[in-house]
Amino acid sequence: MKIVCVTACTVGIAHTYIAQEKLENAGKKAGHEIHIETQGTIGIENELTQQQIDEADIVILAADVSVSGRERFNGKTIIQVGTEVAVKSPNKLIKKAEEIVNQKK
Amino acid sequence: MNGNNPVFQIFFQCALDTREEAYAFISRLASREERGQKEVNRQLKEREKAGSLFISEHVILPHVESQWIQTSRIIFIRPKRPIVSWNGSNQHVYLLVCVLLKENESVQIKRKIASFIRALADEKLVNRLINVDEKEKFIQKIPKIQEGLE
Repeated sequence: MKIVCVTACTVGIAHTYIAQEKLENAGKKAGHEIHIETQGTIGIENELTQQQIDEADIVILAADVSVSGRERFNGKTIIQVGTEVAVKSPNKLIKKAEEIVNQKK
Repeated sequence: MNGNNPVFQIFFQCALDTREEAYAFISRLASREERGQKEVNRQLKEREKAGSLFISEHVILPHVESQWIQTSRIIFIRPKRPIVSWNGSNQHVYLLVCVLLKENESVQIKRKIASFIRALADEKLVNRLINVDEKEKFIQKIPKIQEGLE
């Protein structure tokens, strides 16, 4: 499965990056290809390419604030949660993504 | 202090029994001025309204960016006793990892803080940190902390 994510939080220095790391670890552990863009106080890093978005089976937006460039994901299946969910339960979140993608098949 | 690194501070055996006491302590570290302390305290609480600070079962990550902060720093606080029922939850806090970010901080420092924060995604590291009883051993378990320790 191919997953693209965006993480962003209010201050943009803490949960943005810990959510990124946890989701990346959970995604890889489950055997998925995962790309994560961070929108933090440093700015946008690891910006998702159009190809990565086009090829993704699902989009996870783990954000406590508005995601910049959300229109890039129009037409895609999106899971939107707060960073709290990605930090606390990254494996469950990836599992949920799997279930949603499998339901669509 | 190395100007290219965020400052780290560690406080062990802190007599902090409540969230209010913990936030007051962090606010005093953030600013010497009373106005600054009040503002940082308010910002910390405001951030918590946006979402839980817990990054694992007994560890929270309060953080704030403020004009009142003179030096960006990462502060580890080990209360003498766990702070029970943090913010009305049924969770007890054994360790606080606080990020105080000064306004208009350099991208270089921000990147280093972000890099350190990513390391806290490692549950094994976090579990080791909450189980260490001595400050020196605690320091040894944290990657790259020595170069910025104040």
